[in-house]
Amino acid sequence: MHLIRKVSSAAAAILLSTGALAQNASDLIISEALVENVSSVVDGYGRRTAWLELFNTSQGTVNFGGCFISAGDSLYMIPRGDLRTKLGPRQSVVIYCGGKEGDGTFFTGFSLKKGSAVRLLSNDGKTVIDSLSIPSDLPADMSARKIALDAKAMDWQADPLPAEPSPGAMNIHAPMQSGAERMAATDPHGWILTVTSITVVFTALLILWFIFSISGRFAVKAGKKLGRQTSAAEDDREATAAVIALALDDYLGSSIHDTESYTITINPTDRSAWAAPGRNFRNKPSR
Amino acid sequence: MGNIIDSLQQFWQFTGFANCTWQNLVMILIGIFFITIAILKEWEPLLLVPIGFGMIVGNIPMFPGLNIGIYEDGSVLNILYQGVRQGWYPPLIFLGIGAMTDFSALISQPRLVLIGAAAQMGIFGAYLLALLLGFAPNEAGAIGIIGGADGPTAIFLSSKLAPDLMGAIAVSAYSYMALVPVIQRPIMLALTSRKERLIRMEKPREVSQREKIIFPVVGFLITAFIVPSGLPLLGMLFFGNLLKESGVTRRLAETARGPLIDVVTTLIGLTVGASTQADKFLSGKSLMIFGLGLLSFVIATASGVLFVKFINLFRPEGRKINPLIGNAGVSAVPDSARVSEVVGREADPDNHLLMQAMAPNVAGVIGSAVAAGILLGFLG
Repeated sequence: MHLIRKVSSAAAAILLSTGALAQNASDLIISEALVENVSSVVDGYGRRTAWLELFNTSQGTVNFGGCFISAGDSLYMIPRGDLRTKLGPRQSVVIYCGGKEGDGTFFTGFSLKKGSAVRLLSNDGKTVIDSLSIPSDLPADMSARKIALDAKAMDWQADPLPAEPSPGAMNIHAPMQSGAERMAATDPHGWILTVTSITVVFTALLILWFIFSISGRFAVKAGKKLGRQTSAAEDDREATAAVIALALDDYLGSSIHDTESYTITINPTDRSAWAAPGRNFRNKPSR
Repeated sequence: MGNIIDSLQQFWQFTGFANCTWQNLVMILIGIFFITIAILKEWEPLLLVPIGFGMIVGNIPMFPGLNIGIYEDGSVLNILYQGVRQGWYPPLIFLGIGAMTDFSALISQPRLVLIGAAAQMGIFGAYLLALLLGFAPNEAGAIGIIGGADGPTAIFLSSKLAPDLMGAIAVSAYSYMALVPVIQRPIMLALTSRKERLIRMEKPREVSQREKIIFPVVGFLITAFIVPSGLPLLGMLFFGNLLKESGVTRRLAETARGPLIDVVTTLIGLTVGASTQADKFLSGKSLMIFGLGLLSFVIATASGVLFVKFINLFRPEGRKINPLIGNAGVSAVPDSARVSEVVGREADPDNHLLMQAMAPNVAGVIGSAVAAGILLGFLG
């Protein structure tokens, strides 16, 4: 018994920690990087520097404060405690790689180099969460990036070709379509969805039917073995209960339903325990 | 003196009288009508009273910008309304429904579960019609779910697929749920012969406690694996039922089916009602939604009854199913099962169909949650 308790506690702890890990910095990727910035975005100081983009692939908010960005021997720790390091689901943030240290949370203080890799490290400074290789022949104003093949499943792949930079936007082959837009295009009259849905509903309930038919047979057999075969009187019990319930309902009409049946009425009276002389704080004035 | 008159004039601009439109008055009258039928006729009073009063609350004309309206960020009503907008309330109601539903009728007669699937045709019939009328697929899906005859599911799905139509969809769903006896009876009589209405069905067997405990676990695993998008509703429904049947969590089950569901029902009714502000609610679209909602109920009822008649073609004499339980496949628990009982007793006063009808009835709850999950998966 003690062992079972230990095992179940351990399992619960593992489950809880897995849940906690599900929405942490490990869901971040380096989705894009640009090294030679001639006419791309300017930073808050009006400079054109190299930049990289982090993207949150999860459905929850991720705080990347305390994580590290490294390129070659350079290492930059993203400060903790800055509210702006919380990245919403499927959102991206641009970090500028240039300028000098101390420019702010989103400035690494070192630049990126072609032919190297930029890495995102967890807050231990060692575990690599994600990396992006920057080709040595990356043209100016073109970025190295990862691209989402399936926006729903968050299936990302490195794009082998230099791309037009798109800082702050999700890198995706085709614009994302909502389910309704997709259905409007592929099933304008709704027949495919209807037939599919009805099939699924029937399948789900058919499986329930199948399983509970079998389990019911076992239950009946087990009942017979134990000599718990129901008598005719027992068989009638539920029908009788239904009849009684309906009869009661008919008899009481609807008065049993949500109606306040108690009313407190306070009538003024001279003769009350509260009016007794002994309960008064002062004596009645004598005439 | 002049200052006082100016102040009074300024105050007048803040009053409801100065900002009133005829649309506000129409909505307030509809709210009063809902409260009236809930009290006098006792049609779904637990829902129609909060919704009706919410309609009045939401349609009090006021000067905008006072941060009190339901659509104004940060107002009390807006905060309470988030439970509807974000879909928090419906799963909590499903928890309570699970904790108060006895699935033994379904467990003992699993063959009747398919009637609960057939009655979901109402959802997809209304979906097709809504597309035909020019609604976008997401709007059509949200409208179609009215046919599931399940208020929380309708609110849950419409909050995800078409939040702008949610007020009309919720009011329509609850109104027709209140009218289940009125809508279903003529359809049942029209589609069945007297001979069919007299069919007597075998009594359901007794279900062991072990079966009742296994049901929510297995039922959840099957349905959630097939339609994970229905997880919030299915998870809470079956979890609530496990609380009820496990026998060791009586306090939790009592809370779920008592105070919790009461609180959430009050909040959901009031805020859904308050969300029906005249400028957002009184439109041609709302009228079409009401029409489609009625049609979806009709299709759902007819599908259930006709499906039973179809099954009977393959069943031997003496083991046929009374088609009067077909209407119970819509998930208005237990009203539609009561309609089966009442109509059945009209044909044969000694023929009680209530327990048999409860099987498709609770299957309809599962079926409509599964259907909502599918629609959310495809259209969300």
